Amino acid sequence: MQRKARLVKAAATAAGLLSTTHVGAAPSPEPGFGLPRDVSEYGHHIDWLIEVTAVFTALLFVIMVIWMLWACLKHNEKHEADYDHGESKHSVKTALLLSAVIFFVVDGNLFYNSTTDVFRVFWNHDSVENNPQAVKIEINAHQWAWDARYAGPDGKFNTKDDIITLNDVRVPVGAPVLLQLVSPDVIHSFYLPNLRVKQDAMPGMINRLWFQAKQTGEYDIGCAQHCGVNHYKMKGTLTVLSPDEFKSWAADQSAIGARGYDPKDNEAHWGWEWRARN
Amino acid sequence: MEELQHIHPEPTSFIRKWVFSTDHKVIARQFLWAGLLFLAFGGGLAMLIRWQWAYPGEPVPAVGSLLFSGSGGSITPANYNSIFTMHGLIMIFFAITPIMIGAFGNFCIPLMIGARDMAFPKLNMLSFWTFLLSQCLVLASFFVQLGSGAAGWTTYPPLSTNVGTPGLGQTLVVAAIFVTGVATIMGGLNYVTTVVRLRAPGMTYARMPATVWGLWLTAILNVLFVPVLGSAALLLLLDRQFGTQFYVAGSSAVRGGGDPILFQHLFWIFGHPEVYILILPPWGFVTDLVSFFARKPAYWFKGSIFAMSAVTILSAVVYGHHMFVTGMNPMLGQSFMTLTLIISVPAELLFLNWLHTIWKGSIRLTVPMLFALGTIFVFGLGGLTGLFLGTISTDLYLHDTMFVVGHFHLTMAAAAFLGSFAAIYFWFPKMFGRNMNQTLGKWHFWFSAVFITLVFCGQLAAGYAGHQRRLFDPYQYTFLQHLHPLNRWTSYFAFLLGIGQLPFVYNFFRSVFMGTKAEMNPWEIGTLEWTLPSPPVHHNFDTIPTVHRGPHEFANPEVKKALGRDWIGQAEELPKTEKAPAKPAAAAGAS
Repeated sequence: MQRKARLVKAAATAAGLLSTTHVGAAPSPEPGFGLPRDVSEYGHHIDWLIEVTAVFTALLFVIMVIWMLWACLKHNEKHEADYDHGESKHSVKTALLLSAVIFFVVDGNLFYNSTTDVFRVFWNHDSVENNPQAVKIEINAHQWAWDARYAGPDGKFNTKDDIITLNDVRVPVGAPVLLQLVSPDVIHSFYLPNLRVKQDAMPGMINRLWFQAKQTGEYDIGCAQHCGVNHYKMKGTLTVLSPDEFKSWAADQSAIGARGYDPKDNEAHWGWEWRARN
Repeated sequence: MEELQHIHPEPTSFIRKWVFSTDHKVIARQFLWAGLLFLAFGGGLAMLIRWQWAYPGEPVPAVGSLLFSGSGGSITPANYNSIFTMHGLIMIFFAITPIMIGAFGNFCIPLMIGARDMAFPKLNMLSFWTFLLSQCLVLASFFVQLGSGAAGWTTYPPLSTNVGTPGLGQTLVVAAIFVTGVATIMGGLNYVTTVVRLRAPGMTYARMPATVWGLWLTAILNVLFVPVLGSAALLLLLDRQFGTQFYVAGSSAVRGGGDPILFQHLFWIFGHPEVYILILPPWGFVTDLVSFFARKPAYWFKGSIFAMSAVTILSAVVYGHHMFVTGMNPMLGQSFMTLTLIISVPAELLFLNWLHTIWKGSIRLTVPMLFALGTIFVFGLGGLTGLFLGTISTDLYLHDTMFVVGHFHLTMAAAAFLGSFAAIYFWFPKMFGRNMNQTLGKWHFWFSAVFITLVFCGQLAAGYAGHQRRLFDPYQYTFLQHLHPLNRWTSYFAFLLGIGQLPFVYNFFRSVFMGTKAEMNPWEIGTLEWTLPSPPVHHNFDTIPTVHRGPHEFANPEVKKALGRDWIGQAEELPKTEKAPAKPAAAAGAS
């Protein structure tokens, strides 16, 4: 019995080790309804705003429904209708005041928090660009897969030591990750549900997206923009590794890439010189 | 007014009377039939989508072997793309638009403002026949190689160019959008001119029923913005058929000849006004109906008109919120978010006015009233969920998910659907001269309202959990696998919603041919169309009426004293009582 338990434990450990190194390891399913697990350093900003607004709007909706039900029950055909055009100064003031209060509380909260979050975090690509810790990845989104390219030790893209993967993006935990996205065919949208971010890959443009994971594991990469027959299959895996694991994985992959490098293969040179825009 | 609108004799030949008619009431019925037919078609496509999400890859019962014989009765990914694309296009352009704007725009505007017909009756006829041509193009697209359009109703290039969707089907569909746009512009010009030029004496703008206001504002938006859609579609056709590159970019990192983003700008410059094009008429219906059936004047009617006009203007400057994740400049995004959030002010005013109208009324829960209240209910849900999508940071997560689908179905689909049915049940006696069965109508209402809410709330819940739109098989994603039971239940509700339309189909056909004869004014309402026989004669008004007051003069004590009833017609003279009454407050409000 004990031996069996030990075996199971060993197998589990081995499986656990494998799952972090094995290519395309599966993400685990979500435990329940509602927002998916948040594994991003800043995702809670979005979650908080969604949840608070959900409470506000639910409250407004419930008040509206109770009002309607009450009116239908109490002010039915037995009730004599008031002769009121609602045009008195008092009526107009009440309506305007109520609208203003709802607007400033609900919309004001959305406006203030979205503005600070977007400018400080989600669309603040420049601060990440200048952060030496940041991991930079080029993503070539095409029908129907995600090609990823890391610069390798030389820090330059489209060179011999690049790391190139397919539907397999690996990042270290706790470090900002900056992506540049392109598409050679139709529009795709790079979507990380567990990190609450999304960005279109638009033909003719280089778009940027950044995130920072706070928890290791595997997570789904989805395509959010209809991109043809196999849109539903255009998925990849984001693997968040510990910094050491990431370092050793990157070194291995760079060496493998260099071994198979062919300078004359144009197809393999889909990368571009990193564009640090300001 | 009389000299502007001579009475023309009614045509006697069948063709001129019922087929190529210039009578706005006949054209209204033609639009209604064409729209209802395509509503059933689009609804059928929705059922197929829901089947796929409930039982992915399994053969469709009953119709599968007929429609998808090549794949053993199952929907293939290519089929699926065509189905959701055409569901969206058919519902928006070929079902809701003809029913609400084609049928009720045509029927209500002249009758409610006291005109004998539209300003341009022949243009009106041409508008319907052009529309019918566009419907034929849509039908034809299903019978060509590679099938119908499959690039989504938004037809974003490059997917909608030959790069992504080759084949004649997509071309026919884009052509159909262009042609239906032409029909809509002709109709819109007609409505705008009719309202401006042919209002009866005394029918000031403030005395126009809200229905006419809604349809008029919609017509203005149509005339201004459908041409933008037309140019977007035209450039797309050139890209598809003549090798131009308006929307085809070069290789990935280098800018090529064209720009796919250009299409999105053009599309949404039209597309955002379009959602208000589809909701302004129901807002008008609801504003009138809640007052009519609460037997109480519409609360701060001028405020409601002001709110609808404000939304109309704002609708033109918020379209960028559809493009927050395209790589938009952050400052531009910020401006679009701000303008979008401002729309909630007039929308709240409108809701408050509706709620105040029914408050302390004498509510009659007739079928049209139930549908009007249902419209408020679903539009409340739809409007409130819009807040999450108009805000940038929350949209980063929710963009292109089922949350968006749930939101716009609650507004454009559920509210427009229930609003259209409110209008159908309300004006049916005037339109066809016969009554619909009210019991069946109530069954239809409860089935529709309950299940349409459940279906679209199911979509909201799926989107909240991150479910993207337009996935043939969502369960390929690990993070969506637990949503299968939710989607399956949503599908059951959708099937019940479909079944719930059968009472309407039966009731409609039975009533058109065998319903009891309708009275002149079955609802006891004061607007001008109810002073005419049901159905009205060819030229509507023997003498053009002179209007004295607004459309919502209910519960006026003076009227009760003089006439013994709680309503008075817009063109009715209030008989003098012994004591000369002071001018009623309502008439003052309608200056």
